[in-house]
Amino acid sequence: MNDEQIIAEFVVESREHLAGIENQLLAIEAGGAQADLDLVNTVFRAVHSIKGAAGFLGLNSIGHLAHALENVLNLIRNRQLTPSSAATDALLHAADKLRGMIEDVDHSNSIDVTGQLEELQRITAGELPPGDAATSPAPPVETAAAVPAETPPCPVNVDLQTPASPEPPELLVPEKDRESDRQTSRGPAADSSIRVNVGVLDRLMNLAGELVLARNQLLQVVNATEHRTLSNVGSRLNQVTSELQETIMQTRLQTIGTVFNRFPRIVRDLTSALHKECQLTIDGQEVEVDKSILQAISDPLTHLVRNAVDHGIESPEARLKARKPPVGKIELRAFHQAGKVNIVVSDDGKGIDAARLREKAVARGILHPDQAHAMSDREALQLVFRPGFSTADRVTEVSGRGVGMDVVKTNIERLGGTVSIDTQPGVGTTFHVKLPLTLAIIPSLIVRCAGRRYAIPQTSIRELVRVKASEAASRIERIKRAQVFRLRGTLLPLVELSTALGISADPAAANAARAINIIVVEAGHLRYGLVVDGLCDSEEIVVKPLGRHMKGCACLAAATILGDGNVALILDISGIATHCQLAMPEEEASAAAALGNASEEKQSLLMFSNAPNEFFGIPMELVARIERVIVEQIDSVGGQQVLQYRGGTLPLLSLEEHVHCRPRAEKSKLYVVVFAAARREVGVLVPELLDIRAVPTQVDTDTFREPGIIGSLVYDKMTVRLVDLHELTRKAHPDWFNSQTVVPTAEGNVPRILLAEDSDFFRKQLVGFLESEGYEVEGCEDGAIAWETLRDAADRFDLVVTDIEMPNMNGIELTRRIRQEPRFESLPIIAVSSLAGEEDIRLGRQAGISEYHVKLDREQLLATVSRLTRNPARKAKNRSHV
Amino acid sequence: MTSLHDHTPVSAGETEYASFYVADALMGVSIGQVEEINHNLELTPVPHAPAWVRGVMNLRGAVVTVVDLRVVLGLEPTVITRKTCNVVVRSGSEQIAILADRVADVVRAPAREIEMPPANVAGNEERFFRGVYKLDRELLVILDIDAVLANDAALA
Repeated sequence: MNDEQIIAEFVVESREHLAGIENQLLAIEAGGAQADLDLVNTVFRAVHSIKGAAGFLGLNSIGHLAHALENVLNLIRNRQLTPSSAATDALLHAADKLRGMIEDVDHSNSIDVTGQLEELQRITAGELPPGDAATSPAPPVETAAAVPAETPPCPVNVDLQTPASPEPPELLVPEKDRESDRQTSRGPAADSSIRVNVGVLDRLMNLAGELVLARNQLLQVVNATEHRTLSNVGSRLNQVTSELQETIMQTRLQTIGTVFNRFPRIVRDLTSALHKECQLTIDGQEVEVDKSILQAISDPLTHLVRNAVDHGIESPEARLKARKPPVGKIELRAFHQAGKVNIVVSDDGKGIDAARLREKAVARGILHPDQAHAMSDREALQLVFRPGFSTADRVTEVSGRGVGMDVVKTNIERLGGTVSIDTQPGVGTTFHVKLPLTLAIIPSLIVRCAGRRYAIPQTSIRELVRVKASEAASRIERIKRAQVFRLRGTLLPLVELSTALGISADPAAANAARAINIIVVEAGHLRYGLVVDGLCDSEEIVVKPLGRHMKGCACLAAATILGDGNVALILDISGIATHCQLAMPEEEASAAAALGNASEEKQSLLMFSNAPNEFFGIPMELVARIERVIVEQIDSVGGQQVLQYRGGTLPLLSLEEHVHCRPRAEKSKLYVVVFAAARREVGVLVPELLDIRAVPTQVDTDTFREPGIIGSLVYDKMTVRLVDLHELTRKAHPDWFNSQTVVPTAEGNVPRILLAEDSDFFRKQLVGFLESEGYEVEGCEDGAIAWETLRDAADRFDLVVTDIEMPNMNGIELTRRIRQEPRFESLPIIAVSSLAGEEDIRLGRQAGISEYHVKLDREQLLATVSRLTRNPARKAKNRSHV
Repeated sequence: MTSLHDHTPVSAGETEYASFYVADALMGVSIGQVEEINHNLELTPVPHAPAWVRGVMNLRGAVVTVVDLRVVLGLEPTVITRKTCNVVVRSGSEQIAILADRVADVVRAPAREIEMPPANVAGNEERFFRGVYKLDRELLVILDIDAVLANDAALA
C-alpha cells in the first residue's frame, strides 16, 4: 500500500468516525451534567483514532485540532466539565473544521486552525462565557472578553438545562438514535457487509437496465414464436432479470436517517439565530430510499425544515400569548405507504393564513382580485408554490435565499413525487412529501398519440376510462374553452395530449366517430383526464435522462428505450398540468359540493363472475388473500368442500349453494378468495376475476337483496351484486355464530350505540347488522346530527361508531366535540372509514378516537364493539393518544 | 461507421478534423471530440424542444440529443436522405449527435495555416467558427462545437 492509498483509507475511515459526531455532541449537550459517558467515550475514541492516524501521516493541523477536541471531551468524560451550549458550539465548530480538513486532506496542513484551537483551549482552561460559568469547574477568569461573538446566549431548550435539574430534557435526538449512532461509530461495519464504490453500483444498475431492455426485446421475439423450449428459457430469463434488477436496486438503498441526521444541528443553529425555542422529533430514520432520491431530496427537505423554524414557529413570547407552550414542536417523520416513501414535516406554529395569501397574490399582481375571490382555501394554499411568492413580510437571511417553495415543489415533482400542505391558522402546518422508492426503473403505461408512443408513470395514473363514440357527446362537455368529462358525478378537466405537446393530432384519431381513451391522472391535488389516441402495454421502463437542451420541456420528465429500440418520452404529469394552466374548473368545486360527500365515497371492489354475465363484487378490504388452485386439490369432507392448505383445512364456499345464481363455470383452475369470518379463515371459489375498481357506494339495496347479497350497483353497464361475506358464512355455517352474545351493561341494559354515517347504504347495513347482534342502535346522517343527538340524550349511549368523511361535521370534528365535554371523556369512539391511511389514523387518534376500523369488516367491528361495551374498566381509561 | 484514423503519424502542430457537408459548406470538427459517425436516423421528435433539437435517438442504450446544425446556422431544417449522418460528439457529460448532410474525409491541418473566417462565411454565425483552412478546391470551416451546443444557440 502506498502513501496515497493509506491517506485515502484514512479519509474514508475518518469520515465514518465523524459521520455521527454532530448528533452525538448534541445528545451529550442534552444530557448536561448527566451526559451519557458511553456516548462521550464513543466520540472520544473516534477523535482519538483520527488524532493517532493524523500524527502518523504527518497531518499536523488535523492532529492538533483532534488533540484539542480530545482534551475537552476528556474533561466531559471525567465529569470535570458540563457540556454547556457554548462548549458544544466550540466542539461543533471544531468538528466542522476537522471534517473540512479531512475532505481536503492534501492541503490540510496549510489550513489555519488557531481560531478553533483557541476556542477549545479557553474551554479547557475553564474560561467560559457568563451564563455558562456556573456550570464550569473552574472560576471564570475572563468574562465578557471571552465570549465569542458567534455564540450568543442560545435560547434552545438545551440551554434551560442546569446541573440542578435532575432529568435530561427529552431532546433533539431520540434515545434509540443515540443508541444506533453509538453502534455504527464504534468501529468498522460488521463482517457481514463490505464497502463498495458507488461508481460500481451505478454501473451495475446501468447494466441491469440494459439487461432489462435486452430482455424486453428478446421476449417480444420469443412471444411471437411457438417454440416451447425457447419460451421456457424466455420466462426464466424474465424472472431472473427481474430479481437481479430488484436485488441491485436494494444495494442502492440507504436509510433516510443519513439525511435526517443533519436536521438536529440545523434546527439548533437556526433556533438560536432566530431567538426561538424548538424541539425537533425525528421518526422513521430506518426507512430506506434509493441513493439518487436521497441526494435529491436533501435540499428540498432542508428548505421545509428551515421554513418550519423560520416562518412556522413563533417567538416564545408570541407562543405564550397564544397560550401555547413556549417551545415549538417540529416533527419529521418518514414511513412507507402504498409503495411510496412518505415524509412529513410538521410544526405547531402559526400556520398559513389563506386570506393573507390571496391578498399577497393580488398585491403582487399574480392574481386578479376576482380570481382570488373565487379561490377555495385549499387552492389558495397552492399559491405558496408559485414562483416569486414568499409569505414572510421580510426576506430573512434564513429562508430567503432565493430558493422558494416553487423550487421545492419542482424538485420533488421532478423526482416523481408530490408535495401537499395542510395548515390550520394558529395550530400549525404540515407538509406531506410522497416519493417513489427508486428513480431508475418505473412501471409505466405506454400510450399512443399522433403516431408516437409516450410513457406515463403508473404512480400518477388513477384509472383508465374508455368513452364510446356514441356516449362522447353526452359525457364530454365544454365549459368556456376547456373540455370537461363527467365521471361519476364530478367534472374532470380534460387535456388532449396532442394539444399539450403542440403536435398535430393523428387525423384518423381525430375522427369523431371513434371511442375516446381517457387516462385519469393525478398530480398533487389536481386530477385531470389525459386524452390519448390509444393504449399499448404496461411496461417496466428504465428511466434515461434527457439532454441539457431539453430542460425547458416542462411536459417531459425523461425518456426510455422501448423493446423495439426506439426512444419513447416519459410524460411529466404535473408539468403538463402547469403547461396547460389547468386549474380546477370553477364549476367542479360547486358540483362536488352539491353532490355532497356521500357520492364521493368510494369502495374498492374485487369484481368477478361466477357464471358468464353474472357479476359479483367483494369489498377489497375484506379480502385477506387470493389463491389459485387446481380443481383436483379441492376435497369434499362430509358434504363440505375444503382445501388442504398451509398445514390446515380451509373451508370453501360456492356462491350458487347459498344465493340465487347459476352454477359456477367449469374451469380446471379456480381462484380462492380468502377472508376471515367467525374468527376463522374461509374461502369463496371463483372461476374468473375481472377487475379491482374503486366504485361509488351508492348501492341499490332492494332489487337483488337476499341473505348473502347486500345489494347491487351498476358499473360499466354491468350489474354487479355485492356479496355479504358475513351473511354468506352465517348461512353456510350457522353453528359458527353462537358465541357472540350481547352482554348487558353494568346497569343491566342492552348496550346502546350511536352511529354517524352519511352513506345510506353503509348506515342501513351497520344498523341492521348491529341490531341483529342484539344492540340498540340509533343512526344519524352526519356528524352534526349525531352530536345533537348525543348532547341531548346525555348518558343514553354506551358507544359511538362514526364515519370519518361526512358533510356538515366530519368524524374527527365530532370526536373533538365529544372529547371536549368531561361527561363524555370515557365514551368509546370507533371510527369506520373506507380508506384509512396512516395519517388519517394518526389524526383520528389525536382527536380521541379509540379504535379504527375498515368499513364492512364486520367481524372486526363486532369484536371491538363487544369488547368496548363490556369492558368494565372503560370508565377509567379508554382514550388512546399518540 | 466511417473509419476516422489512418496510419500515418500526425506531426506536431497538426490537427485532424472529421469533415462533413452541411448544405454546400464543408465543415470540420477536431477528431478528438468526435466519438463516432453513424447513419442511425430513427429519431424521436421532442415536443417543446428548441427548434434546433431535431429529436432524440437510442445510441446503444443511451438517449442522445440530435441537433440540427442547419437550424443552428440559421438555415432551413435538414431534409433527411440516405446520406444524412450523425456526428456524435462528447459535450460536457453527455453525448450529442449533430446532423450532417453527408460525411467527408479526415482532413489534416497545421495550426498555423488556419485563418480567420472570411467575411462571406462569417456574418451573424461567426461565433460558431474557429477558423477556415484552405483545401485545393474548397474551404474547410472549423466548427467551435461548444459554441454550437451552447444553450443559447437558438438565440442566434
